[in-house]
Amino acid sequence: MFYISYMLAELRRRRGRTLLTALGLAVGVGLVVTVNALSTGLNQAQAKVLKPLTGLGTDMSVTRPLVIATTSGGFQSLTPAERAKLRSEGGPRGFDFQSLKPGAKFSSDRFTFGTQQTFPSTEVASISKLAHVSIAAGSLTLNAVHISGTVPKQTTTATPGPGGFSGGGGGGFFSGPRSINFDTKSVTGIDETQPTLGAITTSQISSGAYFSGTDPYQAILNVSYANSNNLKVGSKLTLAGKTFAVIGIATTPLGGQSSDVYLKLAELQKLSGNTGRVNTILVEADNASHVAAVSTAIKKTFKDSSVTTAKDLADRISGSLVDTKKLTDKLGTALEIVGLVAAILIASLLTLSSVTKRIRELGTLKALGWSQGLVIRQVTGESLFQGLVGGVLGVVVGLGGAALVSAFAPSLQATVGSTSATANAVTGQGGGPGDFGPPGGGAGLFGRFLDNGLTTGSSSVSISAPVSISLLATAIGLAVLGGLLAGAVGGFRASRLRPADALRHLD
Amino acid sequence: MTTTDTTPAVYELRGVSRSYGSGTTAVNAVNNLELTIGAGEYTVIAGPSGSGKTTLLQLLGGLDRPTAGELLFEGRDIAHAGEGELTAIRRTKIGFVFQQFNLIPTLTARQNVEVALAPTKIANRTARAQELLETVGLGARAEHLPSQMSGGEQQRVAIARALANHPDVLLADEPTGNLDSASGAEIVTLLRNLADEKGHTVLVITHDPAIAAGAPRVIRLRDGKLEEPAPADGEETNS
Repeated sequence: MFYISYMLAELRRRRGRTLLTALGLAVGVGLVVTVNALSTGLNQAQAKVLKPLTGLGTDMSVTRPLVIATTSGGFQSLTPAERAKLRSEGGPRGFDFQSLKPGAKFSSDRFTFGTQQTFPSTEVASISKLAHVSIAAGSLTLNAVHISGTVPKQTTTATPGPGGFSGGGGGGFFSGPRSINFDTKSVTGIDETQPTLGAITTSQISSGAYFSGTDPYQAILNVSYANSNNLKVGSKLTLAGKTFAVIGIATTPLGGQSSDVYLKLAELQKLSGNTGRVNTILVEADNASHVAAVSTAIKKTFKDSSVTTAKDLADRISGSLVDTKKLTDKLGTALEIVGLVAAILIASLLTLSSVTKRIRELGTLKALGWSQGLVIRQVTGESLFQGLVGGVLGVVVGLGGAALVSAFAPSLQATVGSTSATANAVTGQGGGPGDFGPPGGGAGLFGRFLDNGLTTGSSSVSISAPVSISLLATAIGLAVLGGLLAGAVGGFRASRLRPADALRHLD
Repeated sequence: MTTTDTTPAVYELRGVSRSYGSGTTAVNAVNNLELTIGAGEYTVIAGPSGSGKTTLLQLLGGLDRPTAGELLFEGRDIAHAGEGELTAIRRTKIGFVFQQFNLIPTLTARQNVEVALAPTKIANRTARAQELLETVGLGARAEHLPSQMSGGEQQRVAIARALANHPDVLLADEPTGNLDSASGAEIVTLLRNLADEKGHTVLVITHDPAIAAGAPRVIRLRDGKLEEPAPADGEETNS
């Protein structure tokens, strides 16, 4: 008790220095709290962007690439039936209006393929059996095109290109009737037996419900599609002549797999004539550390497949969010270190100065039989207390800094881009001999989806700076450690004092 | 050399020197001293400034070590004792009184006495500190800060602090140097009584002839050496 009274009395006597030391440590520690809170906020913002695909951070997306390599087997290694199927997917998509007469009304529905080739759904079962695979679920994403109109009285005589109305065909031209209505929507069939892993999961349903029961005519709509078409839960949607009941609205944030309409997989396969085929498999590994191994195993099992991991996706996110994250990681860490070192240095110098001013007093203590250990303990205890005060003040400074960041930080942009190879393919530059891809005509209308159907573009993310109890505890711990270090420096100086010299010292 | 025939020696100095620096710049603050001080003696060490009085006191108090010779304290050679042993001797055997009192300004009179009790295992230190203050006549001033007391009172607190651990020896370095003559006389009387009535060995450094005049034994130093043979124990020296 005496030691504490003595310590507090000494700190009161030098209250200016005590406050200065505590404030120095507070600024350093407050900087750590603020930068860490900002870093956590940026991580959370990034996680928010990535969440749809990453799930637990162990997901992978498996597709058949648009361009199958000609080396090491490639397209030629496929079975004749598979080759024929893929050829049909990449074949002409035009509508034949030549047989229509002027004034005739027409209406037609087709399912076409964007950039994803299909493959047998048996691959899902094969991948499910691989070591460290937790779940695998297949899905099929297609473009549903509904075209309708009336053939005008006068028609052009030009011959339509292979791309038909697509406007592509390697610079193809428009031909046929001009007064036609296109209704194009992307449709994904999902394995409703795997509600936690799919293009849409139960957690993404913002209103209504997920698929249930045996009714095949259920549809879930993307929120943006639903809004732009004034559709809601309970509305009806006609697709390829079938009427579907809208049972849910889903939100797929940036980076997620996005389609306009979601159906049960079996129903879309049946409607589109792709029974037993899918074009994406979502895979979840049993542990994040097994993702790379599972990815390699999938490529061996499913030849010529393309595996996109969460990390691949993360690497594709750019924009001010990523720039700020990098800046925080590098400059923020440097700032934390410099701030802390400066604070501890200031505290150490002030403690040293304080010891120097108390040489005679410390010499008296030694003359009275205080051991070196006791003298060091006294000096260090005072410094430790200053560290504690600094830590508490630092928490206040840090909370203030974090609040300012949350209040005034501008919204940051997260951009998910596509890979250049895919971008080339969908703009119609693929399709050389031996390669296999959609005709150029597909790009004009159907080139919306890139890679695995991931939503590309930019998203604005607001930044907050959350402060956790553990961060505050760490901050106080750092300040106390700073005080301890400063005390050790002062204590070492005090322990080196020879009593005779100390007593001769003039105050 | 002075020997004590009737009382056991507390200090025995055999050729004790303390020099600073080396070579041509070496200064011998204490030079080849031969001295014996008996238990319970009241001794004044006198001499002009720079004569080595304070250095000698620091050697006797275990605050410094001689550079040559043997310094026996109660039969133990403290010239070669370790820091821990010297600390223990200072804590249990020796009490110091300083010219400038060396009280801690932020602590009360009682707490200043407790400073000396803190490193010991004495139970109920507060009561012991209060008791010591009563002994020096300052029981009523226990909760006062040094700044609220006169010089004489502060020196009394310092004496109470020096007595805290029942030391065998009291070493006082110019204890009246910062006091008026009346207060100084009171302090000298107090110290003298501690030797005569309580049996403490008291060594007082002073250059005040009046204080030296009243002492039963005076050791005079000049240039680190005994100025003249010290008289035998019990013989008063007034020169």
